[in-house]
Amino acid sequence: MARRSPVAVWWRAYRHHLRLARNAALAWIAGLTALSAGVAVTVEDRVGSEAERQLLESMHDVPAFEALQGRMVEIGTMEGFTLARWGMFGILLAVWAMLAAVSLLRRAEERGHVEPLRAGVLTPRGLLAAATAALWTWLAVLALAIGASHSALGFDPPTAWALGGAAALLGASFAAAGALASQLAATRGSAVALAGTLLGAALAVRVAAPATTTPDWLWWATPFGWMGFLHPSDASQATVLLALAALAAVLALAALALGRRDLHAGLVGGEEASAPRARRIGGQAGLALRVTAAAAGTWAIIIGVVTAAFGLLTHDFIDAMAGMATMVELGREMFGMALDAPEGMVGATFFFVAVLLAAAAAGQAAAIREEEASWRIEHLLARPVGRTRWLVTRLLVSAAALLAIALAGGVVAWAATRLGGASVALGDALLGAVNVVPVAWLTLGVGVAILGLAPRATAAATYGLVVAAFLLDFVGPFLELPDRVLDASPLRHVAAAPGADVDVTAALVMLAVGIVAAVVGVLAFARRDLKEA
Amino acid sequence: MVDHPVLDRAAVPVEEPAVPAVRMVELTKRYGGLTALDRFSLELGQGEIVGLLGPNGAGKTTTLRTLLGLLRPSGGRAEVFGIDAWRDPVAAHRHLAFIPGEFAVWPQLTGRQTLDLLGTVWGGYDRAYRDELIERLSLDPSKRGRSYSKGNRQKVAVIAALMTRAPLLVMDEPSSGLDPLITATFQQLLREAKQRGQSILLSSHILSEVEAVCDRVAVLRQGVCVEQGTLAELRHLHATTVEATYVGTPPPLDDVPGVDDAEVGDGVLRLHVTGSPDPLLKALAQAQVTAIQMREPSLEELFHAYYDDRADGA
Repeated sequence: MARRSPVAVWWRAYRHHLRLARNAALAWIAGLTALSAGVAVTVEDRVGSEAERQLLESMHDVPAFEALQGRMVEIGTMEGFTLARWGMFGILLAVWAMLAAVSLLRRAEERGHVEPLRAGVLTPRGLLAAATAALWTWLAVLALAIGASHSALGFDPPTAWALGGAAALLGASFAAAGALASQLAATRGSAVALAGTLLGAALAVRVAAPATTTPDWLWWATPFGWMGFLHPSDASQATVLLALAALAAVLALAALALGRRDLHAGLVGGEEASAPRARRIGGQAGLALRVTAAAAGTWAIIIGVVTAAFGLLTHDFIDAMAGMATMVELGREMFGMALDAPEGMVGATFFFVAVLLAAAAAGQAAAIREEEASWRIEHLLARPVGRTRWLVTRLLVSAAALLAIALAGGVVAWAATRLGGASVALGDALLGAVNVVPVAWLTLGVGVAILGLAPRATAAATYGLVVAAFLLDFVGPFLELPDRVLDASPLRHVAAAPGADVDVTAALVMLAVGIVAAVVGVLAFARRDLKEA
Repeated sequence: MVDHPVLDRAAVPVEEPAVPAVRMVELTKRYGGLTALDRFSLELGQGEIVGLLGPNGAGKTTTLRTLLGLLRPSGGRAEVFGIDAWRDPVAAHRHLAFIPGEFAVWPQLTGRQTLDLLGTVWGGYDRAYRDELIERLSLDPSKRGRSYSKGNRQKVAVIAALMTRAPLLVMDEPSSGLDPLITATFQQLLREAKQRGQSILLSSHILSEVEAVCDRVAVLRQGVCVEQGTLAELRHLHATTVEATYVGTPPPLDDVPGVDDAEVGDGVLRLHVTGSPDPLLKALAQAQVTAIQMREPSLEELFHAYYDDRADGA
């Protein structure tokens, strides 16, 4: 039998990685394109009068808005408003690209999928290049989707294609950063932490940029800032694209240059010899706490950063809102948020926390399923541990972790708001935190129901429901969807406490539905076969 | 943690001696149209070691997972010391410890943490015996799960099961990944467990291991039990190789019941005989036989006989 050439082998590995990344990539491409197109349609449809345009334009003078959204240019126009939104969408894209790269390179290795690929003529660098090229290919599809869809919606065509290209190259840069971190770090977890630190630093610079007296200098110091220079009036589209392409190339070349490392090891820090501080785990509850702690800690940090950023900027927001009566009215009408008071701003903050906490709950459901899919559950269930007890323990620990994350976010929101010069009572901040917990518990309960009834769909379906709820609540009102459709999103029933009264009925209904779903899930789980991945 | 609670319990078994450690009655497991296990019945007495043999996909792991209550039987039932494994798995599991073939560890836990966790959820374990097992199986328990090799992960599984001194040990290819020295130690540990009166149900590909430690075997093929019995009984059902040297006229072998594949050479004859050798011996007595050797089939030959039949039938 003739041996395949190294090029043919590499091509096969590339196609393999293309397939591995396909489902998530297509979901992200569809989601981001739809989100961005939805924003473009909204602006064109809703911002009709000159007064409304003026109102929007006035926002770009407020550093607090730019700190959150990114650089704003002519946001009264379709292009300007949509490009400004990419200050947030770009972060989502970067996070996915980074995690996808680490997953392709390190999760596969942890699961033992890499040895068979590496046992042939495929080199470590070849494998790294195949995974990175596969992700870049999907990002190129994203560029095409955004360019074509936005041009068709009436975007200035060069700007539509520049946005598509810049989004893809931003993703490519962070995919390469993920690949680089995967070479340096000893484990998948530390690779995520390393790449996440890089992403966080780039984001911190962008958040600080509008506060500087020479704004453009700091905007240009971070790729997230470059995304703010895509408006035609800046005449910087080519520069942005070149800068992002250069960054992606440099990071990818650095990853390739460091491409030789041992399996299951990194260039920084090798295999750990022992764990001298290893404490007893205790029983099954102790294990549940241990396996939940890392994810809970990560979400607490993410939510802490969000509440800190909003809290520090609350004073500036309120100052700005004092001169924007129409905006305040809009916030009150559409979201029930009193944007001219600190309590209202904390309530608005916790709307985003509700989304993040629901995502954390979906992550918990996915993690419970992973215990089953990896068959680690067998070690416990083959001992005198009942299925109901196992799942209920995991569920209670996850529910407690979600409550703790929310409360930590409340404390951070309170402290940051005070540090930023505004004032909100600790009790009010904690009320805002507790107010968003039912929606997270509902998500967890629904996730457990899916685990019991259709275990293999747990992660995708639970995350999918959170994204659908977010899109319905965030974009739905602009699309003028009927109320009964919008009401399907539980996020719509989360009152903007402490700026508004807590909707106790809605909270109780969410709790009841969550508990019923969880009971259904536990009963179904106790009666079915365990299922592998 | 209690130091020796389980050792005491194992030393003076609380189980009713007449109750078998395992009883499977017409146990069946179907996945849609596929029957993974078809009306399998097996009884494992206390203090007995039974081997479950079969190639990949024969239904061995399905059998064990159904016995553990991890899979719901489509028909029949499985009992552990008289307790239905599906209806009351927790009660059943108080009497058994399990060694899986592929031990998926928690990557963040050390070996010692994993052992302590699994021993605690079992209800206690013999700490001194755990330390002895760690020593005899050469495990470094201070490493985290993610840095263990396959063999070391398997050692954790073996220790976690044996340190409980459970009356019943259920094992799914337990020595997979262990090196030959550790495998020998493991087999010695099984013999010691049997001497203490523990019952063992062992699924294995390693025929020498089954031959070395098992009292009885059950052979599975495509979910169906094709043979079950002691090794002596199985051998009796299969051909014995006979080699005889003679002087003068060869013995008349035509129409001798049970004789196959007879080859008559220059003063030497070779043949296979199935069933009672009496007709053959009477036929040989008619010639001047100077020497005779009879060799029973090894387990490997039995195994090949079953699966070559399958290949022929396929």
